[in-house]
Amino acid sequence: MGVSNLVFAVILAVALGFFARSAKRLKRWLNIGHEEVRTDHPDQRTKNFLLIGLGQSKILRDPVGGMMHALVFWGFCVLGLGTLEIMIQGLYTPFTWDVILPRFLYLPYVVSQEIFAVFVLIPVVYLLYRRLVIKPKRFAEVSGADAVFILSMIATLMLTLLLLFVMELRTGASPDGRIISGLLLPLFSSVSAETAHLVARGSWWIHAVLILYFLNHLPGSKHLHVLTSLINVWFSNTSGPGRIGAMRPMDLEAENAEQFGASDVEHLSWKNLLDGYSCTECGRCTAVCPANTTGKLLSPRMIVVKTRARLTEKATTLDAIAASGGTASEAQTAVLAKNLLDDWITEEELWACTSCRACVTECPVSIDQLDIINELRRDLVLMESRFPDELAPALTSLERNGSPWAFSASDRAQWAEGMDIPTMAELVEKGEKADILFWVGCMGSFDDRAKKITVAFARILQAANVRFAILGQEETCHGDPARRMGNEYLYQMLAKGVIETLDGYNVKTIVTFCPHCFHQMGSEFPDIGGNYEVIHHTDYIERLLEAGRVPLDTEHGQRLKVAYHDSCYLGRYNEIYDAPRNTLKRALPIMELVEPPRTKSRGMCCGAGGGRMWMEENVGKRVNVERSEELLATGADQIAVACPFCMTMITDGVTGAGSSVPVLDISEVVASRLLPIVSV
Amino acid sequence: MKIAVCIKRVPVMEVKFAITADGSRVDEAGLKYDVNDFDLWAIEAALQLKEKNGNVGEVAVISLGPDAAQEQIRKALAMGADRGVLLKADSIPADGLAIARALAAEIKEGGYDLVLFGRIAIDSMNQMTGPMVAELLDLPCVTNVFKLDISGSTGRAERALEGATEVMEFPLPAVLTIDDGLNKERLPSLKGIMAAKKKPLDVKPAQLGDAKVTVHKMALPPERAAGRILGDSSAAVPELVRLLQTEAKVL
Repeated sequence: MGVSNLVFAVILAVALGFFARSAKRLKRWLNIGHEEVRTDHPDQRTKNFLLIGLGQSKILRDPVGGMMHALVFWGFCVLGLGTLEIMIQGLYTPFTWDVILPRFLYLPYVVSQEIFAVFVLIPVVYLLYRRLVIKPKRFAEVSGADAVFILSMIATLMLTLLLLFVMELRTGASPDGRIISGLLLPLFSSVSAETAHLVARGSWWIHAVLILYFLNHLPGSKHLHVLTSLINVWFSNTSGPGRIGAMRPMDLEAENAEQFGASDVEHLSWKNLLDGYSCTECGRCTAVCPANTTGKLLSPRMIVVKTRARLTEKATTLDAIAASGGTASEAQTAVLAKNLLDDWITEEELWACTSCRACVTECPVSIDQLDIINELRRDLVLMESRFPDELAPALTSLERNGSPWAFSASDRAQWAEGMDIPTMAELVEKGEKADILFWVGCMGSFDDRAKKITVAFARILQAANVRFAILGQEETCHGDPARRMGNEYLYQMLAKGVIETLDGYNVKTIVTFCPHCFHQMGSEFPDIGGNYEVIHHTDYIERLLEAGRVPLDTEHGQRLKVAYHDSCYLGRYNEIYDAPRNTLKRALPIMELVEPPRTKSRGMCCGAGGGRMWMEENVGKRVNVERSEELLATGADQIAVACPFCMTMITDGVTGAGSSVPVLDISEVVASRLLPIVSV
Repeated sequence: MKIAVCIKRVPVMEVKFAITADGSRVDEAGLKYDVNDFDLWAIEAALQLKEKNGNVGEVAVISLGPDAAQEQIRKALAMGADRGVLLKADSIPADGLAIARALAAEIKEGGYDLVLFGRIAIDSMNQMTGPMVAELLDLPCVTNVFKLDISGSTGRAERALEGATEVMEFPLPAVLTIDDGLNKERLPSLKGIMAAKKKPLDVKPAQLGDAKVTVHKMALPPERAAGRILGDSSAAVPELVRLLQTEAKVL
């Protein structure tokens, strides 16, 4: 062991020691958040880890930037082996993998190191170019200095590695298989063997020390994601396990519970805080946020960045107080008295959210921005009764009338007059049974436009001879709007009432055309004891059509261009993209289905979700206007929707744009193709 | 300073009311109940006074009604009131004076500096209980207050008149009835709801005495006949003119 080995051993020990200290501290800080079990369904988690983590499936949603990142990532995985070799060489100079590996493995290893060094270098140069010259909009919000520093460091690492390989080849101390070095060698033909040896040693040292520096740069940098994002993907629930998009269950009767929702980092779970560690501020979430892109203050990225910043601020202060024997200075007390809510994240940001899940779906490392937003909203409403004035009538009406609009329950089934549709109560009285319950929903019961959807869907069910019933006056809101607004108390009160009614009739299967009802009853009711098969009408109609149960006109009709607008609660919340499209194709065999630029899992929200339906939209461009313009720009003759909320928003937008393109629900399109009922 | 707010349990109005077969009262089947809207504003006014003036020691809520009215008192407690009193009566009499007597007896005992009522109960529409209580207690009374200030032992209230505002001054103790426009009531937070479960709520029988006014009969207004569509072109005009002359007799 030479002097250089000793020097390296000291550097390595110091670097690893520092790193261990930082890692331990970061892990300890996670405990500021509350507990949460995230080890269930290890199979699904491992699948996410392989696909989203190692497979980079989500970052590849951006084909160019995504591929560049994937190359860097996969390159790092392969180069990791080389790094290990270099670290061991530092302690014992003659070491190579050749010592351990058989020849048929060692050769590919040697080849891979060079190739992947180039695979990393090329994208890094591109990414630097993008940062410094192209400057995409989504980078504007946060400082890019750290990114540029890191990219430069990676570039230096790759250059020193390649230089090392070439110089080793020049001195002849090189294994077989250095193809790229061989190509580069002529450039260095004038370099003497002695100089080559010195440059090789220099490159080795720069490379090795830089790696150790890099390791210690990460914990305090946004590039911490290098270490945490794979872990984060494993623990995340955003792509399952569990029901996607279901809000976090909340026990309102918990003994001694004094905090509901979150106003500071300790009210969030350790996983929310790990999300903070894993965010590298790429801004893909903010770039797809309908609120942000139409000029609102909300930026999902900043929600995560601020959560991490507040955690760092609070945790370092707590550490400092502990280090000084437990007495806090005035400044430290002031820091502790601050909150994530208000001091970092404002009400305005939180209420701008449409809960569309675009940010969550987009995040390459499975961060759940929406979960943080929902928890903060819960604190605002449950703890402080603080919410926009416009929401008060909706909440009051939910409490008083069981509907967010102040209509009489006795008018719920007015649309059904003369249609011979039984209620569950009537069937029970007659000793009959229904196969399915048609859950109409508040929009479908009270909104004049949505009532036409209700009638259209009921006509399809009748034409297909489905034995169905409605609840009529007994139907009430399940509380989803209240839940999305943060009022978990009102939600649970309403939801439990609905479950009682449904169970009273022993309901098993529910069909509804409102994606919010569909999601709430299908995906969130199980958490509070309601278990039903809930089917969205697009899915149900498709099944009926497939089974040939709906008598449709065989005339092809007109050749129409139809654009379908994805509903968030149908699409991103429940991954139903094909059923509405297939239904349209079956109903209108010769139509041309056109897609707006933002479609399917990238579909843009209509602007009504997350309680936004009941709020004014005074800042920036209206979300529904932006979306409607995009839909109209497809040149469609008709716009199809599958949600009564989208119906309202898109109809408004289309009308506002001075267009007369009709906006129709999927069921209306199908109903318009029904053969007239022949009375015998 | 002690404030009392008198509240009433009333049916939620967004329903189709029915009258019982004997025509004496509203059929209660399927009705939902809440605090009378104007009383909510009175509670809010009291809570704001408490938040603004350091000397408000207690906001008590008093309601006369059936056992179930405890629910409405709990809501007021959840909003932030300190203590509740239910003057239990199986049914609320139609005689405002009987109600006022029972309330006045309770209020007199409590020694309140300020007694707030909603301007009107949205079910019975009498707007007499507040003034009657003031009369029975020989206290100054200001009705339809939409703006309120208390300093020391003097109050200043603004009332809305048709096209004008009237500013009144009065000494405490006093009785006020609160109009809308003073403020929007707060919605109870979950924290408030939890805390309300532990706040004191006394239940005692209401000292109603004799009711001198009773409901003789209730009836719903006759249903409006549905409109008729004669057609959607100019061809329908002659028929329309004919009907306006012969049936509606307006031409």
